[in-house]
Amino acid sequence: MITALNHTKTDKQNLTLLGFGFVLILVVLASLSLGAFSIPFPHTLAILLDQIGIQLGTFEVQQSNVLLQIRFPRVLMAILVGGGLGIAGAALQGMFRNPLVEPGLIGVSSGAALFAVVFMVLVPVASSLAWIKPIGLPLFAFIGGLINVLAVYKLSKSQGRTDAATLILAGVAINALAGALIGLVLFFADDSALRSFTFWSLGDLGGATWSKIPVTLVLIIAPSILLLLNSKQLNALALGEQEAFHMGVNVQQVKLRLLICGALIVGVGVSMAGMIGFVGLVVPHLIRILFGADHRLVLPGSFLLGAILLNFADLIARVIVIPAEMPIGVITALIGAPFFIWLIFNLNKSQY
Amino acid sequence: MLQASQVHFCIRQRPIVDEVSLMLNPGEILAVLGPNGAGKSTFFKILSGEIKCKHGSIDYNGHDIQKLKAHELAAVRAVMPQHTQVNFPFTVQEVVELGLISTKVKQPAKLIQEVLDATNTAHLKEQVFNHLSGGEKQRVQLARVLVQIWETKPFPRYLLLDEPTSSLDIAQQHAVLKILTILKSRNIGILVILHELNLAAQYADKIALLKNGVIAKFGAVEEVLEEKILEYVFDHPIHLIQNPVTGGMLISAAAQNHTSTPSFKQA
Repeated sequence: MITALNHTKTDKQNLTLLGFGFVLILVVLASLSLGAFSIPFPHTLAILLDQIGIQLGTFEVQQSNVLLQIRFPRVLMAILVGGGLGIAGAALQGMFRNPLVEPGLIGVSSGAALFAVVFMVLVPVASSLAWIKPIGLPLFAFIGGLINVLAVYKLSKSQGRTDAATLILAGVAINALAGALIGLVLFFADDSALRSFTFWSLGDLGGATWSKIPVTLVLIIAPSILLLLNSKQLNALALGEQEAFHMGVNVQQVKLRLLICGALIVGVGVSMAGMIGFVGLVVPHLIRILFGADHRLVLPGSFLLGAILLNFADLIARVIVIPAEMPIGVITALIGAPFFIWLIFNLNKSQY
Repeated sequence: MLQASQVHFCIRQRPIVDEVSLMLNPGEILAVLGPNGAGKSTFFKILSGEIKCKHGSIDYNGHDIQKLKAHELAAVRAVMPQHTQVNFPFTVQEVVELGLISTKVKQPAKLIQEVLDATNTAHLKEQVFNHLSGGEKQRVQLARVLVQIWETKPFPRYLLLDEPTSSLDIAQQHAVLKILTILKSRNIGILVILHELNLAAQYADKIALLKNGVIAKFGAVEEVLEEKILEYVFDHPIHLIQNPVTGGMLISAAAQNHTSTPSFKQA
């Protein structure tokens, strides 16, 4: 009977994920079609199918160029960054055993941003070291994120338990410090750098090009897969670190793995698309509210929903003020902040 | 056999657990009793492998605990801490399944059903853990811990429980301890920290009395339960009375008068 039950549960999880995948495809197609330069939907399909060798209908070369050279890498980037932020947020919430944890809130993003800015200033576009940038920037951002998340983790832990209040306070302090240091670095930057930083800090997928995709793909997908492989351990950690150890989990090793993967994903995301807030907070929550807390569903679900949400936000950002673009961070914050407030209001009432 | 030999643990030169030796055989319930601050919890953590003792050794079936990896240790012993908080909305079924996380078993579904039945929690399966009452939570946690060592194995397993009855009413206390007695026949040894002397007298096979980090007395229940030694350990007048209904032993703690003479008789 339980076997049957387990089967239906796995089936239900798979069905849910399949549903998310389907929605993602729809959003991606919409995202490819709409924008300042609108491509009719049949043409979009024709261009995509043409790429895999199926002739179906006609389209203009200009349409094909916009879609394949500008929109497609951008949509891919939104999938990777949004999905990455979702899954990293879910994993960090699980590890800290706290539903309030968000990469931005606990300083991963600001640490990554600080190191990214430092890297930008140290390695100007025109320097002889510029070749190192495609891989150096994300790795630098990763180190910054990792330092901050380790610092917050150590600060918030007392007597083997992470206390929610101390965690948030530690995040605030670390964020303030990173923000001040970013300001210090920018003080020495010129006007054009300042302007591009402002846009970048609010989140910007406009810089996504095909050349950035391979690095991003590897550095986000690989740690995401590693996180997925640890979903059972995350479930055990939800009972507490001692309990997880009692059940045979090598807690220190798992925690280190989670922190490194989380910091890597967020670091790469921040270096590619700037600080995009709230995706890592809102997405895992929605999944938990809708489908329960089992990380075997929460992690992949958060990736897919994060990808959907960021693509959707990017679509809005592109069409709302045509021909200009709204920074995507504004859109995600507009969705995320009210949700966060709702969360704080309901936290005391709920079972957490 | 679970054997602790001369286990010693100091914090800032002050011994918390001082040269404690005892052993637990499979099929036995050993109750560890002692006043607050006697070092019970520290000793418990050393036994479970959470902290390392400064010197002395813990052997599970002849294997040194230091040499066992987390998942190897999990195959021979399960631990039930005093309180376990679950911060996310897991269902009872999911919580119990977690007990199997590091072991490969042939029929996980059957094992889970058996422990749910044993702990009388099968009807709660679909419910969210955090919505349960205190007694239900404790029984679900017990199910989670049991499933880890439930499967019949060629070697004995051990269950360590830290005050499993502390927040429960009388009926729930007895329900939990009754479950423990079932385990005896499954080649499992049980070590349980208790506060309630009468529960220990009723359910345990052996008792270890701990005071100031030292074993004051260790042996079969009837050897250990003596007025003198109990009064010494708990620093309080204690009387042993025959239960007129069951014929068993009743431990009665009298109200302490100011001179704290043990001869003070209960009204």
